[in-house]
Amino acid sequence: MGNPYLLLYNAALVLGWGYCLYLTIDTMLVKKGTTADLWQVVEMPLKVSQTAALLEVVHSAIGLVRSPVMITAMQVSSRIWVLWGIINPEPVLATGGAVQLSQPLPGVSLPLPAEVGGVPLALNLATLLTAWSITEVVRYSFFAVKELAGSVPYPLLWLRYTTFIPLYPLGVASELSMVRLALPAIWARHLWSVDLPNAFNWAFDYPVLCALIVLSYLPGLPQLYLYMLAQRKKVLSGGSGGKPSGGSGKAKSS
Amino acid sequence: MKLEVVSRSGRSIATLDVNPDSTVAELKKKFYGLKKTYYPARQRFALPVKPGETRGQVLSDDSKRLSDYGLADGGKLEFKDLGPQIGYSTVFFWEYFGPLVVYPLFFFLPQYLYPGTKLPAGGPQHALVQKLACGYWCFHYAKRIVETFTVHKFGHATMPIFNLFKNCGYYWGYAAYVSYFVNHPLYTAPNQTVSVACLAVAGLMQLGNLWSHLILAGLRKPGEKDYKIPKGGLFNFVTCANYTFEIWGWLLFSVSVQSIPAYLFAATGAAQMTQWAIAKHNRLRKLFDGKEGRPKYPRRWIIFPPFL
Repeated sequence: MGNPYLLLYNAALVLGWGYCLYLTIDTMLVKKGTTADLWQVVEMPLKVSQTAALLEVVHSAIGLVRSPVMITAMQVSSRIWVLWGIINPEPVLATGGAVQLSQPLPGVSLPLPAEVGGVPLALNLATLLTAWSITEVVRYSFFAVKELAGSVPYPLLWLRYTTFIPLYPLGVASELSMVRLALPAIWARHLWSVDLPNAFNWAFDYPVLCALIVLSYLPGLPQLYLYMLAQRKKVLSGGSGGKPSGGSGKAKSS
Repeated sequence: MKLEVVSRSGRSIATLDVNPDSTVAELKKKFYGLKKTYYPARQRFALPVKPGETRGQVLSDDSKRLSDYGLADGGKLEFKDLGPQIGYSTVFFWEYFGPLVVYPLFFFLPQYLYPGTKLPAGGPQHALVQKLACGYWCFHYAKRIVETFTVHKFGHATMPIFNLFKNCGYYWGYAAYVSYFVNHPLYTAPNQTVSVACLAVAGLMQLGNLWSHLILAGLRKPGEKDYKIPKGGLFNFVTCANYTFEIWGWLLFSVSVQSIPAYLFAATGAAQMTQWAIAKHNRLRKLFDGKEGRPKYPRRWIIFPPFL
């Protein structure tokens, strides 16, 4: 067995995110609730599980884990930004609304049906949680098992390097939908912004920063996706239970 | 002797027939003769990895002989292309030239650079601190350019060309960021006496920095390539005394203009310099270990007493 603290950390997060996933399925499918209902129950477990990921930056910085600090910091900070910087300031708008794929932005129409088999083709809190929680359950299980047994059984390895294929685009699209729903209100509120003149002679516009972050997603996405696909090829063809090369092997997953 | 040149993936690139007593520089010239894309500054050769090593020893000294590296007939060399290279002085010039030009733009042309902000009727009105700050900033970068061509002795001749864009982005970007706010029509000038005093002391720090550079340049006699223990001036107490003065200069500048972008610039620079200083300090301590007749590196601050 490896490091007991890491085993505990990863196992705890499997439980945390597993619970978020359970709540998502239970609220949306079993109880046929709304995303607003989902937010009522999942807000706390989500905030705890996602914010705990800040520890991973520390683990990386102190050398406890082999992942590169900068990459880990970027990944975690983007999740923290969506949760605390977009959804939390405007929870009603972000968690209550949805972005129809056929009409993602005013004036932008995509040739997609409004719904498939009664299920609306939309991005919302539920799709975000589905993408995030499945990804994280797989990821943390992978690390927990590795810490416990030293190597990982092929099915788990396969999951780790395959679930990202649909979930990464779903996650990123859902994150952007949260921004789409909350940003107009954040913009109107001039949230967390500082104007001139002031004693510190600087200005900071948080809504503008949000817009810049969204722009930065665009080149980042295809790069990371292709990188993950290349990693997948390398790892899955290299035999079962093999160690993935290079740090945690996790790119920006959603 | 015949040496086989392989790529990092093991693929054979060329076979070179060289004299064991020829230097690395001569080897690189010969290789350039075979592969015209790779001029000598782009070439990096390393010995194959020995057991216990993570990477092979690099043939880093152009003046050393191939036999000094233990190369014999039938030996292998691993080749790495360092990418298009650019001279150190060239990069330094362009990265310092930007701030010298960009900063004053906001001072002299606010009517174009602050669109949407109402400007006073009689033209831009600047507080004394804004004028002095502009002068200090420009003096600093002019000094850096002069030092590049008259004082500094670079350890390497070239660096990858990507660094030109990365470094210019950093310097030019921060110049615009700091200047935009310090020269803004809505700038709130802090206490003038404090500001002027801080800039005056910052100027002294610049002189300290120049003095440190002159000491560093004098450490090696022409032709010497080995590391020396820095001595003289603040170096007797701090390994990277030049950085100490530089950090103080920007800290005092920031206090003087009272602007967060200036503090951010100072902090970013300090963080980078700290990284470099720790590496340099450790390198010198490892080299000057007091064994086999080598002097022992004295106990010194790394970069910024009393903290580090």
